[in-house]
Amino acid sequence: MSAHADPQPHGASVPAASHEHASVRTYIRVAIILTLVTALEVGVIYIRALTPIIVPLLLVMAAAKFALVVMFFMHLRYDARPLTTLFLGPLLIATLLAVALMTLTGAFLIFGR
Amino acid sequence: MSTVVARSDLARSILSVYGIITWASVIIGVLVFVVLGWILLRFRDRPGGPLPRQIHGHALLEIAWTIAPALVLLIIAIPTIQVIFRTQGVAAPPSALTVTVRGWQWWWEFRYPTLDVVTANELHLPVGRPIVLNLEGPDVIHSFWVPQLGGKRDVVPGRVNQIVLTPDRVGEYWGQCAEFCGASHANMQLRVIVEEPAAFDRWVAGQKAPAHEPIGDAVAGKELFARHACVGCHTIRGMAAGALGPDLTHFGSRALFGAGLWPTTPDNVAAWIKDPPALKPGSRMPNLGLSDADAKALAVYLISLK
Amino acid sequence: MADPTSVAGTERSAVYHPARAHAAPSALATILSWITTVDHKRIGILYGVSAFAFFLLGGIEALIIRLQLARPNATVVGAETFNALFTMHGTTMVFLAVMPFSAAFFNYMIPLMIGARDVAFPRLNALSYWIFLFGGLFLNASFLVGAPPDGGWFGYASLTLRQFSPGLNIDFWLISLQILGASSVLAGVNFITTILNMRAPGMTLMRMPVFVWMTLTVQFLIVLAFPPITIGLVFLMFDRFFGTHFYDVAAGGDLHLWQHLFWIFGHPEVYILILPAFGIVSEVLPTFARKPLFGAPVVIYSGILIGFFGFGVWSHHMFAAGMGPVADAAFAMATMLIAIPTGVKIFNWLATLWGGTIRPTVALHYAVGLVALFTIGGLSGIMHASPPVDLQQTDTYFVVAHFHYVLIGGSIFGLLAGAYYWWPKMTGRLLDERWGRWQFWLLFAGFNLTFFPQHYLGAIGMPRRIYTYGPGRGWEFWNLASTIGAFGIALSILMFLMIAVRSLRHSAPASADPWDGRTLEWRIPSPPPPHNFDTIPPIYGRDTFWREKHGDSRGRKPTPLPPAPDLHGIHVPPGSFWPLVMAAGVLVAAVGALTSLAIVLAGALVLIVGAWAFALEHYREPVYVDQTGNLGVDHRKLAMWIFLGSECLLFGTMIATYLAYRGRSVIGPHPHEILNIPLTTLSTFDLLMSSLLMVLALAAVQRGDRRQARLWLFGTALFGLFFLGFQVYEFTHFVNEGLTLQQNLFGSTFFVLTGFHGGHVALGVALLLTLWILDLRGRLTVQDAPKVEVVGLYWHFVDVVWILIFTVVYLIP
Repeated sequence: MSAHADPQPHGASVPAASHEHASVRTYIRVAIILTLVTALEVGVIYIRALTPIIVPLLLVMAAAKFALVVMFFMHLRYDARPLTTLFLGPLLIATLLAVALMTLTGAFLIFGR
Repeated sequence: MSTVVARSDLARSILSVYGIITWASVIIGVLVFVVLGWILLRFRDRPGGPLPRQIHGHALLEIAWTIAPALVLLIIAIPTIQVIFRTQGVAAPPSALTVTVRGWQWWWEFRYPTLDVVTANELHLPVGRPIVLNLEGPDVIHSFWVPQLGGKRDVVPGRVNQIVLTPDRVGEYWGQCAEFCGASHANMQLRVIVEEPAAFDRWVAGQKAPAHEPIGDAVAGKELFARHACVGCHTIRGMAAGALGPDLTHFGSRALFGAGLWPTTPDNVAAWIKDPPALKPGSRMPNLGLSDADAKALAVYLISLK
Repeated sequence: MADPTSVAGTERSAVYHPARAHAAPSALATILSWITTVDHKRIGILYGVSAFAFFLLGGIEALIIRLQLARPNATVVGAETFNALFTMHGTTMVFLAVMPFSAAFFNYMIPLMIGARDVAFPRLNALSYWIFLFGGLFLNASFLVGAPPDGGWFGYASLTLRQFSPGLNIDFWLISLQILGASSVLAGVNFITTILNMRAPGMTLMRMPVFVWMTLTVQFLIVLAFPPITIGLVFLMFDRFFGTHFYDVAAGGDLHLWQHLFWIFGHPEVYILILPAFGIVSEVLPTFARKPLFGAPVVIYSGILIGFFGFGVWSHHMFAAGMGPVADAAFAMATMLIAIPTGVKIFNWLATLWGGTIRPTVALHYAVGLVALFTIGGLSGIMHASPPVDLQQTDTYFVVAHFHYVLIGGSIFGLLAGAYYWWPKMTGRLLDERWGRWQFWLLFAGFNLTFFPQHYLGAIGMPRRIYTYGPGRGWEFWNLASTIGAFGIALSILMFLMIAVRSLRHSAPASADPWDGRTLEWRIPSPPPPHNFDTIPPIYGRDTFWREKHGDSRGRKPTPLPPAPDLHGIHVPPGSFWPLVMAAGVLVAAVGALTSLAIVLAGALVLIVGAWAFALEHYREPVYVDQTGNLGVDHRKLAMWIFLGSECLLFGTMIATYLAYRGRSVIGPHPHEILNIPLTTLSTFDLLMSSLLMVLALAAVQRGDRRQARLWLFGTALFGLFFLGFQVYEFTHFVNEGLTLQQNLFGSTFFVLTGFHGGHVALGVALLLTLWILDLRGRLTVQDAPKVEVVGLYWHFVDVVWILIFTVVYLIP
């Protein structure tokens, strides 16, 4: 029977599989931003004045890199919405559990040391 | 032994919530059963009958039976929170007596730091006075539980858990380890003796006194004790300072031994000394290969240590 | 119609041959067909039979326990044996009986209920089964060497550390659990993909049967809850085998960590155990009351809520542990909140029966039994939700009564309801209703006699997990009664076995729809043909089959829809040996873990070879080129995203532990003394750039540019190797500076976290090189792009985890 690559999936309510694509230029731009943010991250830890806010600062930068890789390299920005939900749900649970675990074992977030 | 007999303020607080929750649960349970029973009787199928009305749901009903349980839970939640904060994390009054409870595999050590008393498996407390029990442990997790004095609390190596309670009735209360801790978990029991302050003071004085010198039959036992491995694990103040087993300085003053298991009689103690692992599986106290006579002599000596 | 067994473009044929089906197959052919089966229905039966066998084993363990406790100071078994018995009883019943029983129904029924011909990944499905079976056999092999696990099913440290449990017992336990966890997670990914992506056209999510919804929720729970316990077990394994300090109090470890990791899994696990039964009851009650499930959307949402919030209540198992009043209060409130959606389900079930015409089949008996008994179990659960009360009830026979009410009265009764309900569909025969009712009442009576008195025993102070007790406490009578009840349970299970055997031998054939059912499985013959549906069924709404037969609530029948377009035709996947081979590799490696490294390597080799062959077995099948489903996403891509969700929990747990333990090392070296930030910055940059190369590789494959694809694939692998090189250098340098796994808490957490990550990188490099080699040999074309994409997703995720590790381990001061 059929062996054709049928673009129409046998789904109930299906948005056409997104063919919006990141271009190579976008990828390179993302790579440059990732490099810059990494350099920035390493840089700020040597700046004394920033020590009181260093932890949230670093976390924000890490989160930004995380988001860029997930949205662009992993294509989530251009893919069907359910995939984003499928990833963000567990990510949220993992984050909440990690925070709860750290709080319960007395290492209140990562600020306390 | 019963968890619904309260002999301390802590146990009474718990019982107050216990009562509310039990009543709520029983009422709800009975309601559900009555409704279910009625449904099963009333709506039996008559073969060949028509299809029943195909009802899919009812929004108002859903709301009602979401809110109703929530209200019942509120009735349970409020006293729960109150009792949690009343019984935990509150600073003990300065008149409190502090006892350090150390849970070992498979016995209980009790130290009274302010009174300079060290004993095992039998906890004496003065009635009407606040008690702070600091729970610690050198080996695995145990749980200190004397039902009539309150709920249980784990002994967790690496941290100090605390129970604060005021016993309010003179009496003897039984307790048992309540966290699986290995082979003889079932054999890790304890007795709590709540007594009048005068009686408690007498007990303390007796515990602080030096070990009784043996006389008559007990003398041979003392020599055996000194000669054998006993001194490596046990303390008898004045002649042995081992720290791995119960302090035996006033062993004879304890009505039960082996962690609340057997009456302190010469035959029982001799049988224990002769072959501990046979009576208490996994016991750290080894079979030393003593003769019956030696075991008996040791028993007589230990029992003389009142 | 095309030959259902032919697979266009290959010479390999399915093991099932319709022409030969009329000749009785030889015994060997039968065995071969079963051990290579990838048919979800057969896998379901395999799970069911295995689960029943393990259930009997767990039941015997329980009977011996009850015999020992029937009298005070009994000597039926000694302390060590007793402790092993209750450990194995709990572990067996949870992991080897109830979960696989549920899996039997997931496997058999889910594709039927959603109008699919099989699950998304039939061979992966078989793999899950064989890994489960071998894991269960490995666990029980511990009896044969005289070292059955004896640390309780919950294995609290410090008792389970080598110092206090020197033998192989705990090793058997922790290895088996990791194997069983892997089996479950693989199945979870499979079923989520199936349910989300393989529904018949017209079956929107809200039109799915409630059993399918509960299954979907359970699979998410499995995929998310197993990683934390896997990590907890890994920590224990490393402590026992390699001298790390995760649970070493003297080195700064925290014993509560084990409990948290165990119960973060353990609480969702109990919902994994009960939600399938809830799903079954939600099918059985409407069928035999002949009216729809009352409030179906509410029942669905409450199931999802229970599952989701089930992740937030775990420390109610730790109220005695000393977490402090704030934590106690928080978890108490969360636990009470969960009672609400649970109660809502009970009320909706009652309302389903209300106004119905109730046919008292045995399946209905069990479903009603669940409603009654789970109410009792749920109410005792609410009592436990209050910490003050729980401090008297936990670790006593009160809580033993509670969980047996919910696990037997709930899960087992639900599963038995499913058995009586779906037996005709699976076997084409009916279970005798008259004998079945006797069996039900015998079980009901035996069960209540066994466990109701245990509430009382707990209330008068009997702790749990004790191998004996003294006389004179008033425990004797009800312990004896409880033991008698236990034998009643045993008899009823034997009776069930006899009823089942008798039905297979003597019963008249069952029709396709003996119960006038509501869901799609009743639309096809009993038992179904291998391909399930001749044509994909049309979907008329929820309870679609009922609507076809009887119309909607006003009796209006729907306009008949034409059968859905069958894009892939009737394709019955051929059987495969490789799942069995891979599972065998896992088993050999497990044996090696307890014996010698050489055997571990041998097992790993078998596993790798098996995995390689598995991956390439259907490499060129045209029918597998397009695997797009309901969500508009390729099955494999969807599966990878689900897997990555699971990995979030895996790495999240390890990172959380690292952070929780920061600063707790008793001796040095400490992080700031030894971490090399400049070097690690370089390796971070390297990994980030490797992701860029990866997307370039994927773009090249999608364009059909083989030369560039080769270039970028190799480049990505190369950069991955550079990263690994950095890591090897770093590890070696650290060891030379005195930081080893065993040195201190920092050594333990650092090497395990970054080591696991490095292992993931290594696997990624292996996958990339495989793709590269395939391209070199001309076997990577445009239609293979989904495979490259899936490997790419894995690679990027590994990169993303490193972003977090770099920040959290190296940069944060």
